[in-house]
Amino acid sequence: MIIRSSKQQPKNTLLKRFPVSHNFGVAPASRTEPGKSWPAPASATCIKAIKVYRYDPDSGGNPRLDTFHVDLDRCGPMLLDALIKIKNEVDSTLTFRRSCREGVCGSCAMNIDGTNWLACTRPLDETADPVTVYPLNNMPVIKDLVPDQTHVFAQYHSVKPWIQTKEPAPPDRERLQSPEEREALNGYYECILCFCCTSGCPSHWWNGERFLGPAALLQAYRWLADSRDEATEERLDALQDPFKLYRCHTILNCTRTCPKGLQPGKAIAEIKRMIVAREH
Amino acid sequence: MASSDTRTPVHRAVGLGSAKSGSAHWWSQRITAAALVPLMLWLTGSLISLAGRDYHAFIGWLHNPITVVLLSLLLIALFRHTVLGLEVIAEDYIHARGLRIVTIGLLRFAGVILAASGIFAMLVIAFGGY
Amino acid sequence: MATTNRPLAPHIQIYRPQLTSVLSFSHRVTGIALSAGSVLLVIWLITAAAGEQAFYPLQSFLGSWAGLALLFIWTYSLFYHLCNGIRHLLWDSVIGLELASVYLSGWIVVFASAILTAGAWIAASLMAP
Repeated sequence: MIIRSSKQQPKNTLLKRFPVSHNFGVAPASRTEPGKSWPAPASATCIKAIKVYRYDPDSGGNPRLDTFHVDLDRCGPMLLDALIKIKNEVDSTLTFRRSCREGVCGSCAMNIDGTNWLACTRPLDETADPVTVYPLNNMPVIKDLVPDQTHVFAQYHSVKPWIQTKEPAPPDRERLQSPEEREALNGYYECILCFCCTSGCPSHWWNGERFLGPAALLQAYRWLADSRDEATEERLDALQDPFKLYRCHTILNCTRTCPKGLQPGKAIAEIKRMIVAREH
Repeated sequence: MASSDTRTPVHRAVGLGSAKSGSAHWWSQRITAAALVPLMLWLTGSLISLAGRDYHAFIGWLHNPITVVLLSLLLIALFRHTVLGLEVIAEDYIHARGLRIVTIGLLRFAGVILAASGIFAMLVIAFGGY
Repeated sequence: MATTNRPLAPHIQIYRPQLTSVLSFSHRVTGIALSAGSVLLVIWLITAAAGEQAFYPLQSFLGSWAGLALLFIWTYSLFYHLCNGIRHLLWDSVIGLELASVYLSGWIVVFASAILTAGAWIAASLMAP
């Protein structure tokens, strides 16, 4: 009942999805249709069903949900291993992003059993039966599980995630920072920009055009908290906007879903505190 | 993304830029919330004490000076908090800018009228020889 | 390249409801219920100012089963919104934003609001003549 870390799965599931129809508010071209079912190999000993969202831009048509059957005894432990196995042995057109396979690059972020996580750090024995795999929510889909992240990266760019200074750097050494000042960045610099949080934020679903979202705001706070950065005033001015920052209503889906255990909700609360602090 | 929108992605993300305001509404919502914690508990306690009693008991309660003061503060804080909350809901779900602005305008108007009417009715009872 | 025809990945249609989103949505819904209640409060004051004849219909409606049901919904909404509101004020002070605290405070709000509602109704039924 008390979830202590984001990788903890709930023991019981009362509701798997909100009580709305499967195609509630979905444009006709985005409606998911039932898809193919791929059988397990004859020699399989431990079969798991994996439902995967598929979309083929070349053939047009609507997205569909295919069901693959994977032999867990001949597969690695993580969901990414299963997806790679499917791509190698069953359907080579299955398309997804992946790179490090150890939870540090953020490429394989996707919606697994209703919540966002990295496929390479989600063990198969911690998934439902059947597992449902969707691309990150509310993003245009390029193909299968590959979302178009242009807009969310542009929102990240717009918070100017680099050091901005007015004083020139000392000529003989780096800009100094005490250990305590460096500690203030812990919990924020580790973000891998997987966008699990932003795509899981209901406020970003409704106002994603203008609301920056937890990922961009967490990084905005990373630079606000950096003692070496000298553009604090301009950064806070740029954030103080009813849509860019204040669409955050502390829903906290972001902290719940972060695969690195970071707290975007806390970062945003700190930004709001800084803005109010300069008025009092 | 409409085909006529040729802005770069960063330009789209920045939009018209920051309004440089928004914290005032956020702060006002929190201040009225903090004020409403004790005030609504007081109102609930008063309503419980008035449960099942008649018109004259209610009028008697409104003749109490503490009631007049606290109920006025409550109505002001309550409608400010309510209107701010409903404004946020309108901003979240109404995406057409014109309709959103009109809705927020109507909400503010209704809030002022309701708060003023409530305070006026209460003062009429307190000082009107009831 | 069909960039304009890309489908949008589903969100609310498939996202799992969690304590975080469910309690937040409930905070909004109870807020709306309380807005309706505040209108009723003003109507109550105005009918009282209009005299006993005008007051009687509203008061008897509130004493009926339908009225009591509405009052029950209003009191539950009030206690839930109040307890969760305090939780929000703590978050705004950057207290309790770790996941374990969020879940603990969330369950406390759920149980406290039920207990306070029950307590208020028991107290009211004991006070009523």
